[in-house]
Amino acid sequence: MTREYELVYIFDSTLEEEAINERLERFHEILKCPESSEPISGINHWGKRTLAYEVDGRDVGYYVVVQFETRPDLLGELERALKLDDAVLRYLVVLNEGLAPVTAAVAEESEPASAESTAGSAAESPIDGEAESTTDGPAEPAATEEVEE
Amino acid sequence: MRRHRKPCQICEMGSRVIDYKDERLLSRFLTERGKIIPARLSGMCARHQRQLSRAIKRARQIALLPFIRGYSR
Repeated sequence: MTREYELVYIFDSTLEEEAINERLERFHEILKCPESSEPISGINHWGKRTLAYEVDGRDVGYYVVVQFETRPDLLGELERALKLDDAVLRYLVVLNEGLAPVTAAVAEESEPASAESTAGSAAESPIDGEAESTTDGPAEPAATEEVEE
Repeated sequence: MRRHRKPCQICEMGSRVIDYKDERLLSRFLTERGKIIPARLSGMCARHQRQLSRAIKRARQIALLPFIRGYSR
């Protein structure tokens, strides 16, 4: 029995593209099993991105997102290989729940309503303050709703 | 008097699934410090608030979103 998964790698951004591809091939070799000889259904190189926080003293990572289908018992072996490789800063394996209809494009469309991301976070700050300071719930959220509308 | 409930933003976008890789969408439901805004403030429906919190936690693991924004460094 095979299941569909999604895997996000964060590689060391100082690596060459070839070195990353070579590692991807090596990792994906592990996933091959009789039920799915071609386990990989999609590879998406996001490229270098700034990390939201420091990982192993690095601010930038090379992201690769892979969709694959394999037997669950092979994942342990894959994770072992990922943990041993110092070039992989982080990884995340999750069950693939199908393509999400909420895409960045949709988010962009509705973005102007809540203004720019910086302005948005500034507008959110009063909400944060109330969440921490108030003890009576229902009255205060109503007030914030009015402010937003 | 009871006020009417703010409609769920994700429902209004006509979608049922939230992608943990879409950090621009997820960041709209964070405070400026990076906390998840509770459903009672954001007006999210229960289903989407559950999906959202899971997506945000995943996004934090792969460094797309901060655990705490503006911490030290």
